[in-house]
Amino acid sequence: MRISIHLVLVGAMALLALVAGAGPATAQDKDTLVIALDTLGAMVMDPIADTRAPHAHYHAPIWDSLVGFDLEKGGIGPGVAEKWERSPDGKSWTFHLRKGLKFHNGDPVTAHDVKFSLERIMLPESISSGAAALRRAVASIEVLDDHTVRVYTKGVIPHFAASLSRAVFMEGSVMPKKYIEAVGTKGFREKPIGSGPWKFVRLVPGDRIEYEAVGTPHWRGTPQFKKLTLLLVPEQSTRIAMVRTGEASIVSIGPEAIKEAQAGGMKVVSVPGTMQAVYQFWGLYRPEVKGSPLTDIRVREALSLAVDRQQIIDHVMAKQARWPLPFTTYRYSIDVDIPRWEAWAKKALRYDPARARQLLAEAGHPNGFKMTFWNTALPGTPFMVQIGEALAGFWEKIGVKVDMKTVEWGVFDPMGRGEQKGLVGTASMYRTAGRPEPSPRYQTTLTSSGIQHLLGDPKECPAVCQEIDKVYEAAVSEKDDAKRAAAMNKMTELAANTWVVVPIIEGMGYWAVNPKRVGQFKPIPGRHEFGDVAERMPRPEQKPWN
Amino acid sequence: MQRFIVRRLLQSLVVLVVLALVIFALARVTGNPADLLLPEDATRDDREHLLKALGLDRPVHEQLARYLKGAVTGDLGTSIRYRKPAVEVFFERLPNTLALVGIALAGAVAVSIPLGLLAAVYRGTIIDRVSGMIAVLGIATPSFWLGIVLIYVFSIQLGWLPSARMGGPLHYVLPTITLGAFLVAGLMRLVRSSVLEVLDTEYVKLARIKGLSQTVVIWKHALRNALIPVVTLFGVLFALLVTGAIVTETVFAWPGVGRLTYEAVIFRDYPLLQAVILMKAIIVLGVNLCVDILYAYLDPRVRYA
Amino acid sequence: MALDTAPATDVEIVDERRPRDFSRLPWTSFVIITVLVVVAVFAPLIATHSPTEQSLPDKLKPPAWQEGGSTEHVLGTDMLGRDLFSRLVYGARVSLTVAMFALLSGGLIGLAIGIVAGYVGGRTDSVLMRVVDATLTFPTILIALLLAVSLGAGLRTIVLAITVIIWARFARVVRGEVLGVKTRDFVALARVHGCSDLRIMAIHIVPNVMNTFMVLLTLHIGFVIIVEASLSFLGAGIPPPTPSWGQMVADGRSHIASAWWLAALPGAAIMLVVLAFNLFGDWLRDWLDPRLRQV
Repeated sequence: MRISIHLVLVGAMALLALVAGAGPATAQDKDTLVIALDTLGAMVMDPIADTRAPHAHYHAPIWDSLVGFDLEKGGIGPGVAEKWERSPDGKSWTFHLRKGLKFHNGDPVTAHDVKFSLERIMLPESISSGAAALRRAVASIEVLDDHTVRVYTKGVIPHFAASLSRAVFMEGSVMPKKYIEAVGTKGFREKPIGSGPWKFVRLVPGDRIEYEAVGTPHWRGTPQFKKLTLLLVPEQSTRIAMVRTGEASIVSIGPEAIKEAQAGGMKVVSVPGTMQAVYQFWGLYRPEVKGSPLTDIRVREALSLAVDRQQIIDHVMAKQARWPLPFTTYRYSIDVDIPRWEAWAKKALRYDPARARQLLAEAGHPNGFKMTFWNTALPGTPFMVQIGEALAGFWEKIGVKVDMKTVEWGVFDPMGRGEQKGLVGTASMYRTAGRPEPSPRYQTTLTSSGIQHLLGDPKECPAVCQEIDKVYEAAVSEKDDAKRAAAMNKMTELAANTWVVVPIIEGMGYWAVNPKRVGQFKPIPGRHEFGDVAERMPRPEQKPWN
Repeated sequence: MQRFIVRRLLQSLVVLVVLALVIFALARVTGNPADLLLPEDATRDDREHLLKALGLDRPVHEQLARYLKGAVTGDLGTSIRYRKPAVEVFFERLPNTLALVGIALAGAVAVSIPLGLLAAVYRGTIIDRVSGMIAVLGIATPSFWLGIVLIYVFSIQLGWLPSARMGGPLHYVLPTITLGAFLVAGLMRLVRSSVLEVLDTEYVKLARIKGLSQTVVIWKHALRNALIPVVTLFGVLFALLVTGAIVTETVFAWPGVGRLTYEAVIFRDYPLLQAVILMKAIIVLGVNLCVDILYAYLDPRVRYA
Repeated sequence: MALDTAPATDVEIVDERRPRDFSRLPWTSFVIITVLVVVAVFAPLIATHSPTEQSLPDKLKPPAWQEGGSTEHVLGTDMLGRDLFSRLVYGARVSLTVAMFALLSGGLIGLAIGIVAGYVGGRTDSVLMRVVDATLTFPTILIALLLAVSLGAGLRTIVLAITVIIWARFARVVRGEVLGVKTRDFVALARVHGCSDLRIMAIHIVPNVMNTFMVLLTLHIGFVIIVEASLSFLGAGIPPPTPSWGQMVADGRSHIASAWWLAALPGAAIMLVVLAFNLFGDWLRDWLDPRLRQV
């Protein structure tokens, strides 16, 4: 008797399971573009509720950005604002909006919506990545007419427009003022509307988000597929299985899986200039590390010369990476003399173990020394750990004993804040994300007020630290283009010559594509996520892969 | 009888409270979620601002007080990542895990009983040994490995089954095999020894003497005994699966509470982590309690244990 | 106590009902386990290369019998050019070390608590069993994850995590056994002779639960190895460059189509070893006392 009760329980659960689980299966039809990702962030349909990368994946289809992309080179271009100009005194920006844009509910897109959106992003509860920066930058916003908006900035901010582009942050998302005021935040998140080429259909927590194409042509590109589905699949081998069987059209992968994907007949799309893997030294200016070998600039240069970057590119990154430019510099960077720095990078970042050993001997360490190295990987780029292992291998070859500590990002990140207790006098892996403007990253990493402050802090700022502070100020506030470019290049030079933060490779964003489900498309350089590319992906018969 | 129920209920409550405190402490030891939400070039002010927005700037004892107060009223806080009540996030995903666990359990039972019966009836022969080996293979393979290999063989190479995600009945096959495989070994062994025990008793020998055919004897008496260990372990097995589904759900992109737990750890989403562990514990304790009460009802000796 | 030197019948563990069954010795298990121990102990002599030496140009070479392989790297190389055979050999060491330390600490704690709870009974038993319940309710992998994430992944953390996980299992089973043993005559006799509880527990109870304890130990070795592998999959295992089978399988899972040997070989090693220990544990249990089927 007691047995049957339990059998009934088990049976009931099984039945319940079958009934409940017979949910809608993936639409494997030709009209749906299916992209599988390893993360969908917070899965909240509101641009102010998630951070940069997830936003670029799953908010971008629905919402347009005030400033857009240069689709050819990467970097910024026209968005909802067709053009903009900075006032002569440098303290305000005027944006001219496209005409005839509509939200998904038919309301027109006007300057009032832009003002509303910017103010909404600056709200205290907004956790969007650049909200804080925006609050620091914006003094007030004025609507001049239905299609013209003027933003007054606090002080001169030479590249303010860039910060409103999804190439940088998502602060420029244009949200519908009337609609949000009518339904409130909760209503907005349940039934979100924007002005992008895709409309929101459904969100299944922990599983997927579904969109469908708006019926009319769109300035960003008119979708060739009727529907778009973003799937959350955390396990890479599973994503590869799905793209091979056709359950997904496109999946995100890491460089180690490129061969695997190609073995299955999939095409691999690498988006150039999405990130730079670097290694850096922490707190070397502090008095307590005075005797350490790492404080000698010859030692630091030697460590860089000991690394065979080409081997890392060829073998760790399966040839899907590029020789880097200086720290946080990419081929689409603004104000920077690219040809000069390309030439510098070829020479300064070369592989020269003989010279490395020579420098070590000159510095008084012919038999090497011991060094602690923190190996970690930021979210989205797990291959950093392999690069770190390779680095340690190269340094061991010139006699440096590396005490490598591999830790999870969540453990490492807090160590870098505040007193930086465990990190002073050590080296670590790090990365910088592809952005057209290098100065914000220089601020964070090298100025005395930045969070990482590798060269000095407000209490202890030696000569090189003060110089960087000065040049940084010039670079960000100089109105004259030529003078500003000169300052920017000077900063790049100063930073490069310290050998405190050293680029290893310029990485890419990697995707495996099933050529039977989507045609050949061109990604936006520097933009890993496809939230702004989906509308330009052709069907397989329209543009077959070669 | 009532005293027994009350006693067990109180004991379960004590366990829950202890668990809640332990989780609160553990979660906070592992790091700060704000650091994981901030971009690389955030400033100190940005961090303070975010901490305030997330309610993490209050001193620990205040957070604890708020947590305990909320726990009693059913409000376990707001998930930092999903910006929704943690309990809501949990219940959204719970049915998915229950579905998976239910079928995995049913499947494991369905496989263990015949295997165990065979092994017992043909004890000592090659059939016994082979059944044993098949069963042990289930515990000898790491579940993520099993899952990945199954996907490779049945989904990619053969194309018979979908590779991942929740969906129609076909989507359940591989995940439930992966989840239930390791149960088969233990269950089968128990079935085997229970059946062996029964086959030895005088009662069965008498039945055989009376001339009933072997099959009837086996099916009527042995089978009933074979089910006893399954039933005894029901609570334990259920708990095992619910708490152990993390790996399977990650490999098969199953939107259940296992993966939710893993993500809550990685992203240091304290409220969600606390809520998930507490709710899982409540479910497990609840099921165990029901099983215990049922037994006490049916077998009075148990009440005084 | 002078009267403690009573006849040795007190500590007999022979079961009078059935003779020991020598017929079906698990030879395969014996062999596998012996090989494992030998390989682990003599790893530096057996391995052909250093397990951590990288050689990027040699990466992802297949095993010697496949096209592209060579006898230089008998079982091929991994994604950083490290010799797979040597990593397997040193990995045996790591797996055994983790298993040993974790099992001993968790097992001994569980043994002690189980004996105390079972023998003393009453309130103590109630409280201890509630703690055991609470531990068992806590998701096992989660404990390990949380520890790895807060203390940093590594050998110590894994041993600690596994200890926390298994002591409760041992405690519960041992307690059950003790409940049976303490009703036996020789225990009553010892009490009548005036022996202290502590002495009774140590001298009379412990030997009689040893069988169960041994069986539990052997049966849990496989569990420990699998838990280590699952943790590596979740990113909380023993960090590189230390070779561990679990981490090797986890690393190799992105290459099943293009470099099958990376995950298949360590996976096979795990399976063989766990299989061997389980069969051995089964046999041990049958050999020592068939009544232990509840274990």
